[in-house]
Amino acid sequence: MGDPITLIGKWLENLLYSWGLMPGVVSLIMAVIGVVVIASAVLVLDILLVWVERKVVARFQDRLGPNRVGPFGIIQPIADVIKLLIKEDILPIGADKIVYNLAPIMALGTVLLLWAVLPLSSTVYGTNLNVGVLYIVALGAISTLGIIMAGWASNNKYALLGAFRTVAQMVSYEVPLVIALLVPVILARSMGLTDIVEAQSIWFVFIAPIPALIVLITSIAELGRAPFDLIEAESEIVAGFHIEYTGMKFGLFYAGELLHALTVGGIIATLFLGGWRGPGAETYPILGIFYFFIKALFLYWVIMWIKYSLPRIRIDHMLNFNWKFLTPLSLVILIVMAIVDKIVPKTSMLVYSLVMLFVNVVVGWLTLQLLRRNAKSARMRVAEPKPVARPEPSPTAATSQTSSSSS
Amino acid sequence: MFTGGFDPVNILAILPEISLIVLGLLILGLDLALPEERRGILGWVTAGGLVLIIGLALAISRPGSEPILLWGGMLRHDWLGFAFKIVFLFAAAITALFSMDLFDSGRRGEYFLLLLAATLGMNLMASAADLIMLYLAIETTSIPLYILAGFLTKDDKSTESGFKYFLFGAFTSAVMLYGFSLLYGFGGTTNLYGLSQAFLEGGLSIGAILGSLLLILVGFGFKVSAVPFHFWAPDVYEGSPTPIAGFLSTASKAAGFAVLARVMLAVFPSIAVEWGAIVAALATATMTIGNIIALAQKNIKRLLAYSSIAHAGYALIGIVAISYLGVASTVFYLIAYVITNLLAFGIVALFGRVAGSDDIAAYAGMSRRSPWLALGMMVALLSLSGMPPFGGFVVKFAVFAAAIQAGMVWLAFIGVINSIVALYYYLTILKYVYLYRSEDEDKPLPVSRPYAIGLTVLSLLVILIGTVFAPWFSVASSAAAAIFR
Amino acid sequence: MTPLQIIFLITSVGILGSALMVVTTRNLVHAALWLVVSLFGVAVLYVMLSAAFLAVAQVVIYIGAIAILMIFAIMLTRRVAKDSGPQTNPNWTWAVVVAAALFGGLTWLLSSWNGFSTPIPELSSRADPLSQLGQALVSPNAYVLPFEVASVLLLSALIGAIMVAWDRRSG
Repeated sequence: MGDPITLIGKWLENLLYSWGLMPGVVSLIMAVIGVVVIASAVLVLDILLVWVERKVVARFQDRLGPNRVGPFGIIQPIADVIKLLIKEDILPIGADKIVYNLAPIMALGTVLLLWAVLPLSSTVYGTNLNVGVLYIVALGAISTLGIIMAGWASNNKYALLGAFRTVAQMVSYEVPLVIALLVPVILARSMGLTDIVEAQSIWFVFIAPIPALIVLITSIAELGRAPFDLIEAESEIVAGFHIEYTGMKFGLFYAGELLHALTVGGIIATLFLGGWRGPGAETYPILGIFYFFIKALFLYWVIMWIKYSLPRIRIDHMLNFNWKFLTPLSLVILIVMAIVDKIVPKTSMLVYSLVMLFVNVVVGWLTLQLLRRNAKSARMRVAEPKPVARPEPSPTAATSQTSSSSS
Repeated sequence: MFTGGFDPVNILAILPEISLIVLGLLILGLDLALPEERRGILGWVTAGGLVLIIGLALAISRPGSEPILLWGGMLRHDWLGFAFKIVFLFAAAITALFSMDLFDSGRRGEYFLLLLAATLGMNLMASAADLIMLYLAIETTSIPLYILAGFLTKDDKSTESGFKYFLFGAFTSAVMLYGFSLLYGFGGTTNLYGLSQAFLEGGLSIGAILGSLLLILVGFGFKVSAVPFHFWAPDVYEGSPTPIAGFLSTASKAAGFAVLARVMLAVFPSIAVEWGAIVAALATATMTIGNIIALAQKNIKRLLAYSSIAHAGYALIGIVAISYLGVASTVFYLIAYVITNLLAFGIVALFGRVAGSDDIAAYAGMSRRSPWLALGMMVALLSLSGMPPFGGFVVKFAVFAAAIQAGMVWLAFIGVINSIVALYYYLTILKYVYLYRSEDEDKPLPVSRPYAIGLTVLSLLVILIGTVFAPWFSVASSAAAAIFR
Repeated sequence: MTPLQIIFLITSVGILGSALMVVTTRNLVHAALWLVVSLFGVAVLYVMLSAAFLAVAQVVIYIGAIAILMIFAIMLTRRVAKDSGPQTNPNWTWAVVVAAALFGGLTWLLSSWNGFSTPIPELSSRADPLSQLGQALVSPNAYVLPFEVASVLLLSALIGAIMVAWDRRSG
């Protein structure tokens, strides 16, 4: 009763065997069915995400959001999809046709591939890859490639600028992301996501809050969402890499971005919030799916919250923030936690977790002190009296001054 | 898995390498901490540190008479590696001294750090006993040297030479890596001594082993600049900073020979006749072509480059002999060659810096400008040409003796003829130095302190090797003994 | 033929074909993208050898870093991204001869080897290959020395790269 999905799978398998198929063929068919089911479920969910996103942003901005089509406007995304499907598909002059068309597929496809390793419950997962964490990083790299391809193939300066910014941003933020991802690997002694979830009798976010925060921040940057949305900064480069895309090709980018946000929520939930873990999830795995999506959606909401509350930051600040703050911090916390992990025995999980938490708090406090000192000296520098620039006295300046004073 | 006791001899054996890293980090830290005008001492720190490391190595990390495999078979702690290590450290110290006048400002820290990194790679090359370790060591040597060769980024010739060296190096190292992977595939292990075992047991055709050996020889031939992999040498030596050219032609070449001797004699005894023939052909071509092209050179750095190609040919003779005496004579040859060539390049660096030209014609009247420097030049060139009582004579004698002992009289004969040809162009330079007059005769040649120290030490060593050669040869013999054990 | 062999053949054809496209296509960005395909094919080969870590590392390093850097560099020089000159030089016949000789030589070299007929050794299922790899890299009785030397190599390469690329106007 607790595990209908496995039951259905078993039944289907037996059915195929009863048709007299070979074991190899059966496992192939089962795999294909699994892929199709997960991919379509996720894509249907994606359509709903459009509605969720629009409703949430509306609430943040004190509006109602879509409310005309269907109850609470829930049919709105379907209408959007129809609109996107029937729009004209434009290929810009001078665009590189194959690369141009391949890019949106890669953008969405890489996100879908991420779901192959996410454990939805103790029994439902694509595969327990023993290098799951690295697999996530690798797919991030390929999605960067998709964006570059889109930016280059569009034959548009803004798109190309967007692609440049993407490379600078994604390649940079990958560094602290990968380093911080190593912390749950150290804690769980495995790179497999299923093993990491199983190791979280205490959620890793309580053992390692700083790495969790770093992963969240860098993931937002990898997503290219505000405040790191320089790759599609409307006021500077219009829409960035997807400026030329119309119709469903644009739709694929849009869907890919939304789904990526949810997927990142799912990844962070898996790595730090215990994935499918929750009361009763061990005995009733179907509950695990529920818990997983609750956590993923919560993190998705956090990402939206950040997006709609913070202004975009300047590009040099963004890179400085990464290289001068996140990267050193992630290196320090990784080294410190690895050493503590060696010293403190894992016999009592509670003591171990408390020590780890304490270490995190100390590192966090020291970081804050350092930041405060830096800010103080920066303020001092600004407050220092500077030689005031005096304009050369010229006849025009004199006349304008008199005219302004007279008026 | 991978358990087992950890012997402290592991640490002792790589103490020179560890101290090199420490020294490098010290240089990097000092470069950051010292004010710009005081960074001149970085060269002294490097040279002094290297001398200290030599002392440390001689005192602590001397290998026993029995070679041992360390670090899971990555390194072989034996006299062959150790003797070469001392040579590399010495060459690096001298190069550091010669490099001190190279800069007016800035970038010294990086320069000396890269020099130390290359030396570290050479040290590991000399004692590597595993293909993986060997390849990494070769790359650790090469990559800093590519950058050092192109270090004067404002000078087009230096940039060109760095880039040329890089392209040649990358290509040959790729071919060599392919050979390594074939060896691993055929032998089933990456350990040199394990490979030798696997090949001796048989079951593999000679063609397979010989084919991979040829690919590896490409990489080694590049390192020792043997014909037909010598094309980079003149261009790179001409363009790169002269002290680095000296380092390339001595330490880097000696490192190539250390690897060549170890790999050839340790891994391929099963096909010794075949590779003996190949290397003999290489040696003949290298000597002859190097010397003949050297005759036509007008630029002293290019001339020394071709002369160093020719010397690689002489040194190869010792390896072709495939005997205890042969390896000993090669090691001995390289010790003398390194010291002599460092002396020659040191003088060229000093003269080039003061006179602003590397043309042979510019050396006219040098004996009147600075008799001592001219004397040093004479010592270096006569030693290179193989005149008694200098080091070059004894070692050439040893190499030819090894060839004759191995029954290769023809090879020794070619070597002797080549030495006579070489004598011509060495004497041509001396003719300019001593006999010709020039208008600049009254301009003195100031010798700065680092050069004075370096050149004096080198000249004395050249004479010392030529007169008291027994202790040097006994070191070379124990190095050779380590291979045949 | 086993399914593994069929997949191997398909992958190899893909790798070689895209490698050929890398050198024949006139558009530099296309060449880089074909290179990505080729590198990805190599990753597939690693997967077939049960070397999942190597496969993913191949994707992260070669596609995620190297290929993207290449494309970035090419895009910065947009004007020369298309090569309109001749694709061969006068020596191409010699190159063909040398390449053919090399290929023939290697084929002959490998034909005498019995490794092709030996079956793949079974991996022991008990031990996790990933943790074994990790252990091997830091064990003093295995590969710790090359591992550490690699870090020295990377440090000097890093410093050298900065040295070479440093903007000379600012010092």
